[in-house]
Amino acid sequence: MERSNLSPNCMNAIPLLAATARPQKSSRLSRLAPWAAGLLAVLMIAGCSKPPEGGGSGGSAGTGAAGGTTGSGGAKKKVAFVSNGVASFWTIAAAGVKAAGEAVGVQTETLMPVEGISDQKRIIEDLLTRGIDGIAVSPIDAANQVELLNQAAKRTAVVTADSDAPGSNRALYIGMDNYSAGRMCGDLVREAMPKGGTVMLFIGRMEQDNAKRRRQGVIDAILGRPANPGNYDPPSGVIEGNGYKILGTLTDQFDRAKGKANAEDSLAKYPDLGCMVGLFAYNPPLMLEALAQANKLGKVKVVAFDEDDATLAGIQKGTVHGTVVQNPYMYGYKSVEVLAELAKGNKSVIPANQFIDIPARQIRKAEVDAFWADLKAKTGAK
Amino acid sequence: MRKILGISALLLVVCVVTAALSNSFLSAYNLENLIRRTALFGIISIGVAFVIVTGGIDLSVGSVVCLVGCGVPWLLTTHGWPVPLALMMAVVASVGIGLFHGLLITRLRLPPFVVTLCGLLLYRGITRGFTRDQTVGFGAEFKGLRLLSTGEIPIPFVSGFSIPAPWIFLLGVAIASAVFLNRTVYGRHLLALGSNEQAARFSGINTGRMTMLAYVISSSLAGLGGLLFVLDVNSAQPVDFGNFYELYAIAAAVLGGCSLRGGEGTIVGVIVGAALMQVLRNMITLVTTHNNIEFAIIGAVILSGVVADELVRRRLRRA
Repeated sequence: MERSNLSPNCMNAIPLLAATARPQKSSRLSRLAPWAAGLLAVLMIAGCSKPPEGGGSGGSAGTGAAGGTTGSGGAKKKVAFVSNGVASFWTIAAAGVKAAGEAVGVQTETLMPVEGISDQKRIIEDLLTRGIDGIAVSPIDAANQVELLNQAAKRTAVVTADSDAPGSNRALYIGMDNYSAGRMCGDLVREAMPKGGTVMLFIGRMEQDNAKRRRQGVIDAILGRPANPGNYDPPSGVIEGNGYKILGTLTDQFDRAKGKANAEDSLAKYPDLGCMVGLFAYNPPLMLEALAQANKLGKVKVVAFDEDDATLAGIQKGTVHGTVVQNPYMYGYKSVEVLAELAKGNKSVIPANQFIDIPARQIRKAEVDAFWADLKAKTGAK
Repeated sequence: MRKILGISALLLVVCVVTAALSNSFLSAYNLENLIRRTALFGIISIGVAFVIVTGGIDLSVGSVVCLVGCGVPWLLTTHGWPVPLALMMAVVASVGIGLFHGLLITRLRLPPFVVTLCGLLLYRGITRGFTRDQTVGFGAEFKGLRLLSTGEIPIPFVSGFSIPAPWIFLLGVAIASAVFLNRTVYGRHLLALGSNEQAARFSGINTGRMTMLAYVISSSLAGLGGLLFVLDVNSAQPVDFGNFYELYAIAAAVLGGCSLRGGEGTIVGVIVGAALMQVLRNMITLVTTHNNIEFAIIGAVILSGVVADELVRRRLRRA
């Protein structure tokens, strides 16, 4: 990992500066003093935020520029990867972005919006203003961002990664089919509870196309319905069939304390709950916390999505039945590879169905050790 | 005392209604959860109440929760600091932030709203900077330290129900705060300062020092809350940990009878206010399947409670 643009040392200087700005005798001066201190502080931040090697401009202070810039200037093409939020998932993708940038010789940058959809829009607009040769984006609200994506597609190469925006002019979609991945997850639920039982679903939010399709895949597979990505069951209301009873879907809007409370409240509401399914990366660890505190680890089945450390540790211990993992590293890697070709004007990389499939995998106890070791190697973790 | 009758009655009504609609509401497990959540939010709410009593506001609470909540596991796991040193650092940071706010507000006479709003931006930004936006947590380590939040204290002769550890912290904080506010001359000074700052200053109270004290208490309790939150949840993401918690804290304080104009407030009221918010959220999950309109229900119930309270009080005054 490179250093983040805002070094803590620089930030620490600000309070000191402001605190030392004492009021002067003249009242006008004293009114100006704090503003002067503030201005100085801003200038210091600007000074501190210059990227270390001076190649290209990094992300602005408000965005989580995790990847930073790679390569060192010249007439290299520049491509950017814009995530849908800040998460360890995207750190893995950023590693793929960086590796591909070095492999194909383009400058890369990974940007993570902090404040949802308006922040993502701002980042994309700023990239276009600055001039960029290609953008890969995971749209937060595909249906309502078509206009923005089309605008971007007019000025540069645009691909969607991780979550698609089917109605837009993006060149292609790189990712997995969330509906099929959801079905894999639903199959794990049936494996964990072959005789049927009650199921509760936990998810960060339902606005995203990938979230909707993933959840629907889980439901359809559990109920044994034939594959039809067009199905939709509203989140409130019990869905029953095939010996299984899906009691509901709880969202937490990324508030961890709320996510844990959701798991706890479900355990309180349904003392005989059979299986908990966590569909966003951070949900399963929170479910495990709630289960541990209720002394129900191992008694309630847990099926997960993504590869949080606590989830993988749970699979090793047997408290989690299994998880479905995506391949964020390849999302990042493939995006940069394709964008680099598109930037050169090579349209032959676009397949006829405009979809590059990076399939999901099921990880159970048998596969977990090998998978985890590979993950650590890719992210450079200990 | 009369000021918190209304809110206590509302809490009671919500509890009775929820208990009637859901068998699990009164289960020991659910009550323990509710007590733990109320304690966590209650601690940060009491801190804000001190500031509100002086007629100020502290919008930086959520970001201080984030700074300490992410900073402590970061120091412990990423940098391998010993526990006492990391906790000491958390204390220094939270107290320092309060002093910093207090200085800017009393010496430079900056509006508390602006100072703490900038604090809100500053501390979350700093946290995101030093953690490089990575999720931090304890994993399977520090089980002993985590007992501060996850521990349970058995009650003699009662089985199946024990008191969640954060409740002890809340009790300690609440008793100390109530004694300070009502039984010491400094507490009286604080209230006097809130109802009329000039009058308080002219009668010889060092209003500057009292104001500083209020901000130090607020940020210190926010820091304590942040620590307990992360010990409970076990993982924290700098970008959203503690987001909007200042609003939960301010709402609990105001519901509990602290006037935003300053000069009044009771500690019990603040705890009741914090409990009301948590019971409402719990109720929505337990008895409905409409998780998504949660905030609408909370808003509607609280608003109707406050309106009813005001109408009853007017009638009593007329009678």
